[in-house]
Amino acid sequence: MIQLHNVGMSYQAETAALSDINLKIPKGDFVFLTGQSGAGKSTLLKLLYAGLTPTSGQVLIDGVNLSRLSRSQVPLLRRSIGVVFQDYKLLPNRTVLENVAITLEVLGWGKRDIGKKVYHILKSMGLEDKVNSTPLRLSGGEQQRVALARALVNDPKILIADEPTGNLDEENKEQILAIFKEANIRGTTVVVATHDKRVTVNSHRRVIRLEKGRIVEASDVQG
Amino acid sequence: MSKAKALRPKLAQEGFWGRLGYFFSRALANLRQNVFVSVVTVGTITLALLIAALFLLVYVNLEGMATSWSDKVQITAYFDREPTPLAVAALKGRVKAIPGTSKVVFVSKQEAEVRLRSRLKGQESLLEGVSSEVLPASLEIRLDRGHRESTEVTRYVSALKQIAGITEVQYGEEWVQRFNTFMNFFRLVGALLGGFLAIAVLFIVSNTIKLTIYARKDELELLGLVGATRIFIKAPFLIEGVLQGAAGALLSLALLGICYFALLHNAGNFLGLNPAGAGLCFLPAGHLAAILCGGILLGFIGSLTSLRRFINV
Repeated sequence: MIQLHNVGMSYQAETAALSDINLKIPKGDFVFLTGQSGAGKSTLLKLLYAGLTPTSGQVLIDGVNLSRLSRSQVPLLRRSIGVVFQDYKLLPNRTVLENVAITLEVLGWGKRDIGKKVYHILKSMGLEDKVNSTPLRLSGGEQQRVALARALVNDPKILIADEPTGNLDEENKEQILAIFKEANIRGTTVVVATHDKRVTVNSHRRVIRLEKGRIVEASDVQG
Repeated sequence: MSKAKALRPKLAQEGFWGRLGYFFSRALANLRQNVFVSVVTVGTITLALLIAALFLLVYVNLEGMATSWSDKVQITAYFDREPTPLAVAALKGRVKAIPGTSKVVFVSKQEAEVRLRSRLKGQESLLEGVSSEVLPASLEIRLDRGHRESTEVTRYVSALKQIAGITEVQYGEEWVQRFNTFMNFFRLVGALLGGFLAIAVLFIVSNTIKLTIYARKDELELLGLVGATRIFIKAPFLIEGVLQGAAGALLSLALLGICYFALLHNAGNFLGLNPAGAGLCFLPAGHLAAILCGGILLGFIGSLTSLRRFINV
């Protein structure tokens, strides 16, 4: 369960990026955060994985107040959250396999187990013939799937994605959204930020619309 | 499909050794994956340490040369009457008892005459009619290295004058003072130049490492975002720093060796610095070990301080 109580976030000497955010996302839910660029979507996502600390209010994940986490506890939180970044954040000098394996190396998995698990998830995303390629040799859609594989490979409790379909064509968008849905069916809570209304229309998912750092609309199910 | 070979490290195991093994293999994989950056770092460390090592080589040889000059500090104690052989033994014993004495040689009147004649070879006629009685017997005293400073020599001479039978003491007071002034100046200049050089080396190497880590800040950020602990992020980078520092130090020593044996080995003769003709000597083992340790420390501390700026988990 993700809970935000009266959350406010201001960057230095700037107007508030988020104001008075109250939100509950139950376990296993699938939520779209929408809004124009600068509405506060990315800031809200960063608060969920302790990438930022709110200037006011509380962010709770499974009842744990993230503001009270010590520096040594933050990594433990992040291991239970898969994040797909807007710019993918793939390491250009490592292979696809190594990029995905990072998540499991951090957990201390053994070499053989990592090999099996990474190959399995890359195969499920149609990337089994790209394991030894470096990210720069992949298309945008393939890079996005690698980023998704890295986020999902340890079966996280929560999956967060920031504009995951931003640079993709329709076919790739459908592929990516299908992967999100599969993860959600397996029990992962999914939070996707997007400014693309075509992604949310007919999605049959909850949509939360942000405008100038405030929630202006929160529908139960879209479409 | 790419033909690029996957560089999979040994993966983290339980326990200290398992983790250390993983960190080492990760560090080696990082070095292979960032060849250009690693070569630049090792090259910078090599050149910086080579300059420092060359300075050290010159300094050590100059100091060695100056120390050999100080061997010329000799005190001569004259007797108005030549002591009997029994008394000579007693006198030598008393002189040796003075702290700082290294060697005592008795020169009899006859021996003094022989020496004078040999020095005036070809002009022996000058000594015609001069008997050995004219020349005084003496003790020639050499001091150990710790007692060749001007003040030490003065203190030694006053102790020497207390011994009965010694009427006059000569030790080249002015030369000793000039020599000490020169040595103090030499050490001061050496310390200043060495200090500046050490700061320059530290600055260049730490900034090079900082730039290489800056080039990989995305990797550091990503590791933090996927839940890596600080030690998990830092350890491979620190090991990389140590390996680069060690490699740089070893390369600089190898280049120093090549420079020495190819060019400097006989430079002492060429420059006329060493009258003994032994040439310049190579750095002692202790100095070589210090350069190696210095390289390793530079790599480690440079990485550690740079990582602090880029890791925020």
